[in-house]
Amino acid sequence: MKFLLFLLLPSFLLAQSPHFREVSMGEAYPGTRVEMLYQDKSGLVWFGSQKGLFRYDGQDFLLLQKPDSTNQRVRVVFQDRKMQQWVGYHDGSIYKLQANELVKWMPDEGTPKVAITGIVEDEAGQVWFSSYGEGVYCFDGKRLHNFNTDDGLLGNEIYVMAKGPDGRIWLGTDGGISVCRFAKGNKQVENLARKDGLPDEIVHELLPDQQGNIWVGTYDKGICRYLPKERRFDFPLKDWPDGIVNHLALFEGKELWIGTDGHGIWRYSLQDGSLSPVTGFEKSKVYDLMRDMEGNIWTVTNTGGVRYANRQFEYLPTTFLNIQAVLAQKDGCLWVGTPDGLFCQKKNGEVKLWLKERKLNVICLHEDKFENIWVGTFDKGTFCLNPKTGDLRQLTEKDSISNNSILSIDGTNGYVWLATLGGATEIDNSLNRIFKERPPLRRFGKEDGLAANFIYKVFVDRRKRTWFCTDGQGISLLENGSIKNFQSYKEFDAEAGKEVERQLKAVYSMAEDQRGHIWLSTATEGIFEFDGKTFKRLAVKEGIRDLAITSLVADANGQLVVVHPSGIDLLTPETHHLIYYDEEIGLKNDIDPNLNAACSDQYGNVWLGMKDGLFKYTPLNDPLEIHPKTHLHSVMVAYQTVDFGQAGSFSHSQNNLNFEFFGLWYTDPASVRYRYRMVGYDTNWVSTKDRHATFASLPPGQYRFEVTSTENDAWSDEPVVSYEFSISQPFWRRWWFVLACCAIVGAAFYWFQKTRELRLKRVALLEKEKVESELAALKAQINPHFLFNSFNTLISVIEEDPKAAVEYVENMSDFYRTMLQLRDKPMIGLEEEVDLVENFGYLLKRRYGDAFQLEVNPNCSRDVQVVPLTLQVLVENAVKHNVIVKSKPLKVQVMMTDDGYLMVKNNLQPKLQPEKGTGFGLDSLRRRYELLTGKQIVIEKTETEFKVSVPTIAGS
Amino acid sequence: MKPLAFVLFSFASLGLVGTALGVFSTKKGSVSFTSDAPLEVIKASSDELKGLIDPKANTFAFTIDMTSFRGFNSPLQMEHFNENYLETTTYQKSSFSGKIIEEVDFTKDGTHILRAKGKLEIHGVTTERIIKSEVTVKDGKFRVRSNFTVLLAEHDIAIPKIVHQKVAEEIQVAVDAEFESKG
Repeated sequence: MKFLLFLLLPSFLLAQSPHFREVSMGEAYPGTRVEMLYQDKSGLVWFGSQKGLFRYDGQDFLLLQKPDSTNQRVRVVFQDRKMQQWVGYHDGSIYKLQANELVKWMPDEGTPKVAITGIVEDEAGQVWFSSYGEGVYCFDGKRLHNFNTDDGLLGNEIYVMAKGPDGRIWLGTDGGISVCRFAKGNKQVENLARKDGLPDEIVHELLPDQQGNIWVGTYDKGICRYLPKERRFDFPLKDWPDGIVNHLALFEGKELWIGTDGHGIWRYSLQDGSLSPVTGFEKSKVYDLMRDMEGNIWTVTNTGGVRYANRQFEYLPTTFLNIQAVLAQKDGCLWVGTPDGLFCQKKNGEVKLWLKERKLNVICLHEDKFENIWVGTFDKGTFCLNPKTGDLRQLTEKDSISNNSILSIDGTNGYVWLATLGGATEIDNSLNRIFKERPPLRRFGKEDGLAANFIYKVFVDRRKRTWFCTDGQGISLLENGSIKNFQSYKEFDAEAGKEVERQLKAVYSMAEDQRGHIWLSTATEGIFEFDGKTFKRLAVKEGIRDLAITSLVADANGQLVVVHPSGIDLLTPETHHLIYYDEEIGLKNDIDPNLNAACSDQYGNVWLGMKDGLFKYTPLNDPLEIHPKTHLHSVMVAYQTVDFGQAGSFSHSQNNLNFEFFGLWYTDPASVRYRYRMVGYDTNWVSTKDRHATFASLPPGQYRFEVTSTENDAWSDEPVVSYEFSISQPFWRRWWFVLACCAIVGAAFYWFQKTRELRLKRVALLEKEKVESELAALKAQINPHFLFNSFNTLISVIEEDPKAAVEYVENMSDFYRTMLQLRDKPMIGLEEEVDLVENFGYLLKRRYGDAFQLEVNPNCSRDVQVVPLTLQVLVENAVKHNVIVKSKPLKVQVMMTDDGYLMVKNNLQPKLQPEKGTGFGLDSLRRRYELLTGKQIVIEKTETEFKVSVPTIAGS
Repeated sequence: MKPLAFVLFSFASLGLVGTALGVFSTKKGSVSFTSDAPLEVIKASSDELKGLIDPKANTFAFTIDMTSFRGFNSPLQMEHFNENYLETTTYQKSSFSGKIIEEVDFTKDGTHILRAKGKLEIHGVTTERIIKSEVTVKDGKFRVRSNFTVLLAEHDIAIPKIVHQKVAEEIQVAVDAEFESKG
């Protein structure tokens, strides 16, 4: 076609590549050679090196070494379904990680003597260990079982072990692939070797994919894939350039990453079958490849240590600048519009400038169902181009389109909509006759009900409705031939305190999510979600970091890609969850994206035009819902680490707590921020960049420490990690202690009162007794009978022996005087009492002569105390109740017993007519002794004897 | 009580200078077992362990006559062991044979921890086991010592429920054997 001039531009394009960053261990651990990587189920990344095992949280390293050995070279790390982490070493030892300590695993059977090369867990929960030299071991929970060449393995040197889609364990050896199963004590081994189609018997890598197939990396023959259902190998990569394959990694089933032994890293696209080297890794020897949960590809090589890149974003620098439109065609050609024309870049990097002589300023691009390229230009109308045939048709205002400046083109089923500076035009190319005749077309403008004629974007949704984004007048919807305008939205205004209606102004871009909600980006108000009834606005408060949004595109999952000068954000429509990407994916500050310079391709990948190149975004199969992942990794109470797996309970003195946490966001570790609070103490969130929090002197109470992290300061829906604990009251403030104290005080008071009363009572009683007894004794002594007898006795003595009479009166006088002196005292010494009774005895003896005998035992000189008149009362008692005659003398004996009692004993010869007595003397004695000594007077009466024993009180 | 005990095995490689020598056989070999159950501890031992080791092929074979165990608490216990549990009239021998996993140079005196992988037959039931042993080489002779466990269930040795408190599910076995060249 004469219109066309093909121009071949030199193709010195760099290959597209994600942005790799190096993980530096230099300062803390210089010279560390990392050899393997592992990401556990919680998202933590572990590095295995010759120095030991490192935990890497994006910022810091924690080195874990086995305590009992010098060989720290880690070969493999694995976490089983019970979250037990296993570490296999080059020296054959196997360790378990328990609370950040490496604990040697010592099964009865012993562990291998050669390097551990793999650890996996099968469906039954059996853990398998492959070795380089001893085959493979299976641990069934009790015993370790070995498989080696004797059991049918193709080799004892296992390079790689993987759990296959069939649940069996696949082993790569020097002799091919062996597939094992161990169940109920039975070993099953099946082999795949050259005769089965394996291209090379040395198998370095086995990688199961989600389709149930297994990718095989070989020593000599590159890569093949085993299809278990068809029991055959196939060879997607026909022309493997060269090089020993060491490792493979899959990215979302869309791309296979291939690490070689000295030939760098390659990418094989499962979408278009292209194989390309990854720049920056030429000639690298690859020790490990890993794809993490965030979509990063991690590499370990001899040339760059550990490097990783977020594979979702790739940058493709271009020779054409200031990209205004981009279109990815099914055959892999990229069409790009710039102020300098229309460019097409083929997969091989070849670039063509189309329609050069027309000096087009290309604003927008569209591909219709006949694979025609529609080109919207500034001031030159639209061109429909078939790149295969070279057919071309230009449509301008002369052909009745609305305006010669086209800002956007969209369409479906052969119908093409043009959005222009002067309204919209629908072109009917459903029969693809455009290159033969002028197609039928319809114009829509203000006069037809459109809100405005200046239309930034036309968008045909899945229900074939057509939307128009206008300049300053909101959006218009054409449905079933009628136009409806949406020019305002309602929003709660905090200042006004009520819902207010606001104008929807200039709308730049539009996309549709999987629920059919329409999303629009505006010039200054942020993003709106329209569910068909109401608009919901997302602006700075909701996490939109830059309101100057240039493009809004939906990816394969309906996630929205939001492009603005500050970077690229991913927005999950259902949750409004946002993830920011910028420098970490290689976006520089001056990306300067143009309005709607974006498209999605047949795979749902999104292409974004920037000032000097293209970004390609490949979505994850499952959009990231949680990021960063927050980990609480240490709780210290009073400087002691505690197990924070369960709620804690601390004493009142353990009230200084220190928490350490981190948020895993390897994509951009430096952007992670935290906020925490101590529920029960302070409910305000504390925002910080620090990865620890300290609480000193917490009062007793019930607490919950909560921490969460963000990479975009949005604090949207990231889960909160928490730790509950309680600090108890000191025991002296606990209810039971207070209660017990009250009870003790109460009881003590009660007891005191009670005893005091008792004592007072006793004293009063004693006093009374004393008075009564004195009275009784006095009465007894002035008993007229006694006096009468005494005087009779005196009379008879006076006649017979005047001298003795004098002595008698003296004795009587002594007796009365002593009695009067002593009666006031509560107690007197026994000797005094004995003197008294001897006086009394003299008087009685004078009266009764030999018929009365009083014997005081010499042991009555002890230093003890008795109640005054005790002996006198008792002796008198004996005299009163017994017959005293010469033929039957009354013999009264006074003595101390061995157990400290004073005993008065007399032979018993009762009077037939007992003398009448009050009995008061003995009763009174008994009560007084009881009160004073607490002991009873003992009265013993036999046929012949009467004994009274009274307790004495020792000492004075 | 009982009875379970078994045999043992171990193997070891030995090798006197080079592996030019032929097969080695036991000069003395003993096996003892312990059943440490809640109600009763049962021990018995036998000195009739016979073993052969071929250092060239790295293979070994051990066997023991199950009726040769002595040292039971009572004659009744021994009778139970032989008749009820191990059924020694039917399964008179226990054996362990297989290969040594490690390849170690036995030309020098020294002590090695080796693992033997082989088939352990007790009570007519064979299981594959890895058994760890300590082998001490000295002056062309060597001594093999090993401790391991046998699970009754693995060998279909049924213990009546009522006796369970007296017989452990897991029996500890110790082997001690001295080898010399057959000459």
